[in-house]
Amino acid sequence: MAIVEDEAAARTSTARVVAPPTARRPKARKSFLPVALVAPAVVLLVLFTVAPAIYALILSFLQMKVGSGLLGGGATEVFAGFANYVTTLTSGEFWAGLGRMLIVALIGVPATIFFATLFALCLDAKRARLVGITRLAIFLPYAVPGVVASLLWGFMYLPATSPIGGQIINYFGTTGIFFSVTNVAVWGVVGFNMVILYTAVRSLPPDLFEAAQLDGASEFQIAVRIKLPLIAPAITMVALFSVIGALQLFNEPTTLKPLANAISSTWVPLMRVYTEAFVNNSIYEGAASSFILIIMTVSATVLVNVVGRRIAGRETK
Amino acid sequence: MKKPTLKHVGAAVGVFAAAAMALTGCSASNSSTADSNQVVHLTFTNWDGGMQAAVDQWNKANPKIQITLNKPSGTGYTLYNKLITNNKAGTNPDITEVEYQALPALISSNVVIPLDKYLPDLSKNFTKSSLSQVQFQGKTYGVPQNICPMVFFYRKDVFDSLGLTAPTTWDEYAKDAAIIHAANPKQYIGNFTSTDPGWFAGLAQQAGANWWTTSGNTWTVGINDAATKKVADYWQGLVTQGVVTPEPSWTPQWSTDMNSGNIVGWVGAQWAPNQFPSVAKDTAGKWVAATLPAWTAGDPTVGIWGGETEAVTANSKYPAQAAKFVNWLNNSNEAMTTLITQAQVFPAAIAAQSLPALKTPPPFMPNQPDYNTLMATAAKNVRTFQIWGPDANVTFDSYSNAFAAALQNKTPLSAALDVMQSATVTDMKKLGFKVAG
Repeated sequence: MAIVEDEAAARTSTARVVAPPTARRPKARKSFLPVALVAPAVVLLVLFTVAPAIYALILSFLQMKVGSGLLGGGATEVFAGFANYVTTLTSGEFWAGLGRMLIVALIGVPATIFFATLFALCLDAKRARLVGITRLAIFLPYAVPGVVASLLWGFMYLPATSPIGGQIINYFGTTGIFFSVTNVAVWGVVGFNMVILYTAVRSLPPDLFEAAQLDGASEFQIAVRIKLPLIAPAITMVALFSVIGALQLFNEPTTLKPLANAISSTWVPLMRVYTEAFVNNSIYEGAASSFILIIMTVSATVLVNVVGRRIAGRETK
Repeated sequence: MKKPTLKHVGAAVGVFAAAAMALTGCSASNSSTADSNQVVHLTFTNWDGGMQAAVDQWNKANPKIQITLNKPSGTGYTLYNKLITNNKAGTNPDITEVEYQALPALISSNVVIPLDKYLPDLSKNFTKSSLSQVQFQGKTYGVPQNICPMVFFYRKDVFDSLGLTAPTTWDEYAKDAAIIHAANPKQYIGNFTSTDPGWFAGLAQQAGANWWTTSGNTWTVGINDAATKKVADYWQGLVTQGVVTPEPSWTPQWSTDMNSGNIVGWVGAQWAPNQFPSVAKDTAGKWVAATLPAWTAGDPTVGIWGGETEAVTANSKYPAQAAKFVNWLNNSNEAMTTLITQAQVFPAAIAAQSLPALKTPPPFMPNQPDYNTLMATAAKNVRTFQIWGPDANVTFDSYSNAFAAALQNKTPLSAALDVMQSATVTDMKKLGFKVAG
């Protein structure tokens, strides 16, 4: 039932948005002010997102062909149809990279959600002390740029410089590398997600917890039985961010790559895009791969959103 | 697992391109015809340390042709791919550094131009093998700057303590590797690196490989030929025995091992003493260079690892002046003296190979006063491929991936050569080159 209601609500809200503005705001006169206000955002969006995207779309249907002669002087761009898309989709390395990305996501997304939730609930517990400092300490890694974080962890993983047992544990092993990469990524984003969840917990009405306490519920029971279900929508959002983040995995493996034999230049799909475009100088195939990835990212986002909303809806019911 | 979306990258590229245009703008702005009194301003992209000294020297002596040196944001193929992209926009510098293996790619993209009408006859001052790096189908695209023959560096103190001398053949190298590792399980004679395709290419050249050959307008690709497989199988044996470590070079791990004496040898090249201070700073004076081990005793043939030329771009409005500078930089004793002292270059120009500046060894090798005599001998015995392929970037990237995977998964290195071969051939065919077989 809740789902049906939800969808009905969603439909009305959509209807409201698409209704002609004159119907809602009959007094609105023709003015350039709104145009002027949105202009900077629109101009920037067009310049740096829409225009490059259109250019990339055009590139993805082109191919470089050299002229005659040994060194083929006078290379020209020719229309290639869907050749670049076919090459990407039939490339074993593309799917293998996607597989590796999914492994990292399968480890990383649950770990991010788990630790972010755990930290948020712990910090909100009544007996928690030094909350401010702890919160900052957990958040701080988010302020460290991904490349710096990866270098830092890279040094900790390498046997020669490792303070965390790199001499015994092979952090660059065939299996180990997935955990090593995930660790850097999770370390970086847990703090940010923790803040989102912590804010969600703090905004819950405190009388709920008082009532529970009077009924004899322990801190743990309050956290798991009351707070957790109530912040489910925020957890969904965190999950969404994490999944999108996982699909964009690039910084960490790229930075760790030169340190060991474990990571190739096409380890995850975005690295493959980069290699195609800037190492192999086939910006055309890179563009095609990008569009395939965009379609996948959007699909994954919609999927997580729908699934998340259903779960949240069921729980509040 | 977060941030830079394609959007950000796109924005960064946009901003960067704008900045690049602003930077290189000066070359495009003075497009008016050059009368004899006008000062010509040229831009020069080069990432070598010490190049500024040579440029300053030129600017002082040539007030009419002023050079501005730019360091590129990315070196190697990052730069070359940018040059290819910017060529159409006309924003390339007048003169650029090009490593030998990348020159064919830049020629096939029309980024650089033939300089024959501006240059003197180079055959008087350069060997055939040097010129083969810059001359294609009877046209000259640059003046070779240096020769980087491969040489073997070893820790003399460690070798002495084990009663070993520098290996003269690869068989001896393998025996020494076993002795060193047996005496101290932490020590290795060297590492097999997946991050240096140019290194492996140099070893293949020595063994007689020819990754690319041409006949008429048709290419033959032979990356997995018998000679290269021999090299791969040889190193496979050492790695499998565990007497050579499979770790990549240029990592903190490698530096630590080189510095601490865990790695006591390096199959390197002429420019190694330039890198040693940042790789193994505490070991100055302990390394000695020796001729690269040979496949058959007494054969002095070696391959090259690295080396560069300066080339003039198609975007340059003043190719004659640019070529004049290029010729001065790489074909004059005065410029070479500066480059030898500032950047420890070993000149390709024959006359410059007997310059007094070469009597001083590189600062890191004070214990080897005749360092450059060894280089001069090695330089005479250099063997290269007939030609570098027009897509050596794909081959090199494929080397790094395929060899890293083979070392990681303990699969045969020779199979990795098949991967490189097919990646290279596929790409060449896709681009429209005629490939035999």
